[in-house]
This record gives sequence, C-alpha cells and structure tokens, in this order.
Amino acid sequence: MTTRRDLFKFAGGSAMGLLLTPAPWRLITDTALWSENWPGIPRPARGEIRAKFTHCGLCAAGCAVRARCVGEQPVSLAGVEGGLCPFGVTGHHLPYHPERLRHGNRPEAAAAVARAIANSAPDRRVAVLDLQPGRTASWTCRRALAALKNGVYLAPEEPACAVNLAPAGTVLSLGAPLLDGWGSPDRVFRARSGFRLIQAEAVESRTAALADQWLAVQPGSESVLGRAVAGTVGLRQAAEATGLAEAQIAEVARSLRENGPALIVAPEMTSEVLAWNLALGAWGKTVLPRREAPLPREWSKAAPVTPLAAVEVGSLGALLIDESVPGAPLPWAAIQPKLAADAVVVAFSWSRAGYARHATHVLPAAVYPEALGDLPPALVAPSVGSAAEFRLTVPLVAAPDGMTDPAEFLSAVAGLDAKDALRQRAAAIHAAARGSLRTYADGKTSAVKDLKFDDFWKALNAGGSWMGEVENSGKSPHLAPAAPIPDAGDPWPLRLSTTQPGAPALVSPLMTKLWQESGLRLGPHRAALNPRAGFEEGARAVLETPYGRCEIQAALDGSVPPGVVLVAYTPEIADIRGADGCARLVRI
Amino acid sequence: MRRNIFIAVGLLAGLGAGWAGFPRAIYSRRPQPVDFSHKVHADKAGAKCEDCHGFREDGSFAGIPTLDKCASCHAAPMGSTATEKSFIDTYVTPGREPQWLSYARQPENVYFSHITHVKRAQLKCAQCHGDEGSADHLRPFEQDRVSGYSRDIWGAPGRPGMKMDDCVNCHRQSAAKGAAGTLSAQAGERGCLDCHK
Repeated sequence: MTTRRDLFKFAGGSAMGLLLTPAPWRLITDTALWSENWPGIPRPARGEIRAKFTHCGLCAAGCAVRARCVGEQPVSLAGVEGGLCPFGVTGHHLPYHPERLRHGNRPEAAAAVARAIANSAPDRRVAVLDLQPGRTASWTCRRALAALKNGVYLAPEEPACAVNLAPAGTVLSLGAPLLDGWGSPDRVFRARSGFRLIQAEAVESRTAALADQWLAVQPGSESVLGRAVAGTVGLRQAAEATGLAEAQIAEVARSLRENGPALIVAPEMTSEVLAWNLALGAWGKTVLPRREAPLPREWSKAAPVTPLAAVEVGSLGALLIDESVPGAPLPWAAIQPKLAADAVVVAFSWSRAGYARHATHVLPAAVYPEALGDLPPALVAPSVGSAAEFRLTVPLVAAPDGMTDPAEFLSAVAGLDAKDALRQRAAAIHAAARGSLRTYADGKTSAVKDLKFDDFWKALNAGGSWMGEVENSGKSPHLAPAAPIPDAGDPWPLRLSTTQPGAPALVSPLMTKLWQESGLRLGPHRAALNPRAGFEEGARAVLETPYGRCEIQAALDGSVPPGVVLVAYTPEIADIRGADGCARLVRI
Repeated sequence: MRRNIFIAVGLLAGLGAGWAGFPRAIYSRRPQPVDFSHKVHADKAGAKCEDCHGFREDGSFAGIPTLDKCASCHAAPMGSTATEKSFIDTYVTPGREPQWLSYARQPENVYFSHITHVKRAQLKCAQCHGDEGSADHLRPFEQDRVSGYSRDIWGAPGRPGMKMDDCVNCHRQSAAKGAAGTLSAQAGERGCLDCHK
C-alpha cells in the first residue's frame, strides 16, 4: 500500500531529479531576462529610418537639427552644421518627462483673466511676461495687448547687438560661457579656430579650461577689466579691482587692438558691453545690429516692450507668464511687488518647476519638439554678416491633448484673430522677395524671389531656414552710461556663479538622473565653496541675494576661488539671482 | 528496498520532466502566416538572400521584406501551387501585410548592426541564421514563455545560437586568427557599449 511517506519520497526524488536537469537553471536565467524586458520598459520603434529637419527650441540659438525618425517617432537628434549641446541631443526625451504637466483648467483661467480685464481700474494693468521676446508669438502677444486697455508687454532685456565671430582675431570673454552653450554653439565652434580666446573669470569654468588664456580675476570684477580695456578706467584702479597685474591688463588691451578685429563678450550683451566694443572699433566687423525678419504691415499696432522696473508697484491685475519656451527668467522677488493683492497669475509651462510655483492658474504648454514656432533674432550672427533670419521649430511629435498655446490664449481673450500668424509672417517675408532659403535635406540654397509662396512655406515647415540679404551695419546705436564700479564696502561680498550657463533649461529625464545620482554635476541645494570660506563640508547655510534667500548645503571645492558661490542653476536659484550675481552666505 | 523505489521513480520522473518535458513546455509554438519556401525561391527563381533581405539606403537592415517586395513578383500567380494562390488571395490582392514572426530578433537592449557584419566582416548569412536559405518550409516560431525570447536566440540542434556568449566566442575566435591592427583583431576588442546601448 502507498503511504504518505512514499509520496514524500517520490516528491523528494523528483526534486533531486529536476536539479540534475537544465530546467531550474534555465528558469532562473529566463526570469532574469524577463525582468530586463518586462512590460513598461520603453521600446524604441524599429523600422526604416528617415531624416527630418527642424531647429532646436531649447534656447534662442535655434541650432539646425537632423532628427532620425522611425516612422513618425524621433529616435535620435544630431546637429546639421556643427554639433548640438547635451540638452539638444536629448531634446526628444522631453515629451515623456515624468514631471510634465498634462492637465490644467483653461476655462477657469480664461474666465479669471477676463474678469481681471473687465474689472480693472485705470491704474490696473494686464501684463504678459515673455521669456523669449522677438518671436512671432511675441508679436501676437504685443498685438493682443495693444488691443486691450492697459496692456503691458514685459520681457527680459534683449541683447543690445549681435556678434559675428567669423572675422574675429581676438575675443575677450568676461565670464561668458562662450564654449559652453553661449549664443549659437554651432556657429561659435565653427569660428573657434579663427580667433584667440582670452577668458576672464573667477572660476576655471569649462570655457576657461578650453580658452587660449585664462585670467583668474577677482569675483565680480570682470566688468572692470572691460572698462579698463576700453580705456574708461585706469590700469591701477583695474588692477586693484581685478587682482591682475597692470602689465597683464595692458597686454590684454594691446592684444585686442593689434590682433583684431577684436570682440568683447559678456554673459549679457548689454549696451555697456557694446560701448566697450565700439571703443575697440568693432562696430560693423564683429559687432552688428540684430536684424528681425520682415513683419506684416498690419502688425504695426503692437504694445511696446516695457522693462519690469518701469511698472508701478501693485499695478498688475493680471499677469500671464509665457514659459512655454525657455528664456532668461526674471527673479520672482522682483515681479511679486508689481502684482496687485488680488492679481491673477497664469503660467503657461511644461512643468511645475518654474513660475508655475507662484501662479494662481497653471496651464500646460507643448514642449520641444511638439510645438510649431519660430526663433528670435540670433545673438551670434551668420558668418556672412548682419542679416535677418527666419527659422521654424518644426514639430517632430504631436502634442498631447489639453496643451495651451500662450499667444493663442491671449489673442482669444483680446478678440484678436492670430491663428495663422506664422504663415502671415512667412508671407510678408516672401512678399519682400529678398534673401534666400536654405533646405538642409539637399543642402540647396534658393533665392526667395524664385519661389512660390506655397513652396516657400512648405520648405520652412520641412526645417528650411530663410536668411535675408546682408545689410550695412549703419551708424552705431545710442549707448547707456556706464554703471558705477562697486565699492569696497559692498554688502554682498560674494558672487553667485552657476555650473550651467544660461537659464535652467528643459532637461531630459536621462540627464536629470545623471545629474542627481552622480557627482558629475553639482546637485540642487548644494553650493561649492572654497575650503577657506569658513564653512565645513555639509554645513547648512542660507544663500541671500537682493531678491531673496534659499537654503543650501556647503560642498568644499578647492577649484572654487574665495568670494565665489558656485551653484546649479535651479528654479529656486533663478528666483533669487540678479544679473550682477551679488550674494552672501549666512550660517544656520 | 521497496521504500527506495519511490525515490528512484521520482528521480526518473524528475529527470524525464526536466530533460524531455521542460524543453517542450517552455516554448510556445506558432505557425508562420504563410508556408514560404526559401528553397523554391533560391533554386527556381535564383534569388539570393540579399535580394529580399536587403539594406535600406541609410544602411539599416530591412529584415523581413514587406508585402511590396513580394507583390513586385507575385502580383499575379507565377506558378500553380495552392500556397501561392492562397498567399495572393489573402495578402497581395487585399494589400494586407503578412504578420511574419521573426526568428532572430534580438531583445531591445541589444544593438546589432547587420551592415557591419555582412559588408565589412564578410560574414555569410548561414553563419548566424543556419541553413535557412535551403529550407522548403518555414518551421513554427517558438517563443520562450518566460523571457519572450525566440528559440533561435538560444540555438537548437542544427542551428547556431545568437546569445551573448555566441557573439563573444565568435569575436574572440576572429581576433585570435587576425594579425594585430587588422579588422579581425579589432573584432576582439569589444566593450559592453558596442552592443548594449
């Protein structure tokens, strides 16, 4: 008779037998393989690869992009002429960013803005803050604001000029990240072999490391060097401020004058920087006027650009912030006092990380490469000289439902028909019958006068680029008076420097992971300080600027000079960082 | 003694299940949509592998041909077989793409360049795919129920495997044969990121 013990023996024998077969080992391997390929892991599309062309919309540079697509899905991005920065190479990941905003209550936001407009007193204003002025969408906002009573168009200060690096013999960079994403990276690198680069910067940045000469100046004294080179400050005074020897400064000035054409660049090309360049005789050679593509005549009625400082305190009843394209953010601490107590703030944004944190209504906006738009006039002019350009950011993927176009939202509120603004702009360019169209797919350049409008529009939407005729630079512009040199009793003894040039860009989740989970880049809420700055590793402190404060943790780094606080350019830092970078640290 | 018989029977049952039953049970089997004959196409039409499994203009491998390729010859029947007539009626005339099941698809974490191996290293198709080109029928597609891999990745009697070990072994052998600095020698100097992107 079979007993229970016999059954256990049978089961034990079977188990022993199975162990002597490939089955259990194969199951272990299979389970490991299954875990590498389980559902939920994104699978890149396979199939025939086709090239599509567009322009990168991650900054105002608008580098030309060749996208490798399988079907309609972009699988990799590369530059057409020159390279792309790491942000541009990974730009096609952005539509899938986990922090992306997907929902917003547009009717509620529209009603709130309409109420604010209807109820506004004569001294209350409706404003748009455009982070990337100079686009067709910017003109739509300006036209809509002109149609509204008390409309104000706010924008960060635009560069006072364009630069042309192609003819430059010597370039003095006053802390500008020239080789690290400044201007148009592809144009900068194409011209790099032709000029000698002198980088004046307190920190040995990536540009300083790649420059022909690095001048380690005192933090915040870069502008003094600019004045000295232009001859508006004496050598002794400049030497005291910068920490350089008088002979060194004289040698830089001599090099700029003798090995020209010379060019001085700074992080922001203000009118003062332009004045230094004029003193070096750079106008018309390396410094040029920024040209805008032709506009339709009927767009002449548009709100003027108003600096934020000119807006009265507490006068903004409604503020619409166009954060759908990256740009130079204004510190929130500078914006907030301008708002009325019951102000409606609508942020058009792809994530909650920026101004959306301060808004009463947040509407999700399409992200690159989903939205069709154009680019503002470039800071780095084409190598041929001063010419206007018109380039579209052509969508590579369709935007999800529920995205709001800020210009379209505002024009609907203002009762302005601006649906075909880009096409109207293209028609105005075509009607002028000047300049040429470059198509990247075949590398051909065609004169606009030889093209029909439909073909011109089609080519632009296939990633083509229009460039106007090279124009004479004309007379030099009016210049603003120089700002005073900071005195020794500065209440802000430190200078805030950021690891990432420019504004906090839209960053692929892949790069965010790399950034947050490795020591390759300084993480958020950490600040690199010189070991002699008086803080211990890991010490907590409050970083204060004229615009606000935030808490940081000290990370000691011998490569950071005394007097500098090096931080990642996060939205919190963007909220409090002024253009001059003044700061101080208070131990907690 | 009688008591140990149960252990022995269990042992034999386990061995039988593991060696004979498991290999059958682990794979699901699905027939191909059309019983395509490589042999007929190679012998009668004189077709070579690359005539149908070619490279696109951008250098990427087209893999299994699409219906357009088939229809370029079979828009109307070329022979009198029932298989061809059925293929034309079911797929070519209505323009319906056959859902071929790929024996040799590598998992998503592997990047494999056909053009590098075929054009540069001059490998024959059969070296990885076996003697598929002379088969008269398409065998069923066998898929591992757990990992989802095709059986061809593991290899089977008469067919080479396409596992990572197989790639590594082939590259090492190639490197051992080649002189320093030659293509063969370079083939042995591979890192993880050459195949795993």
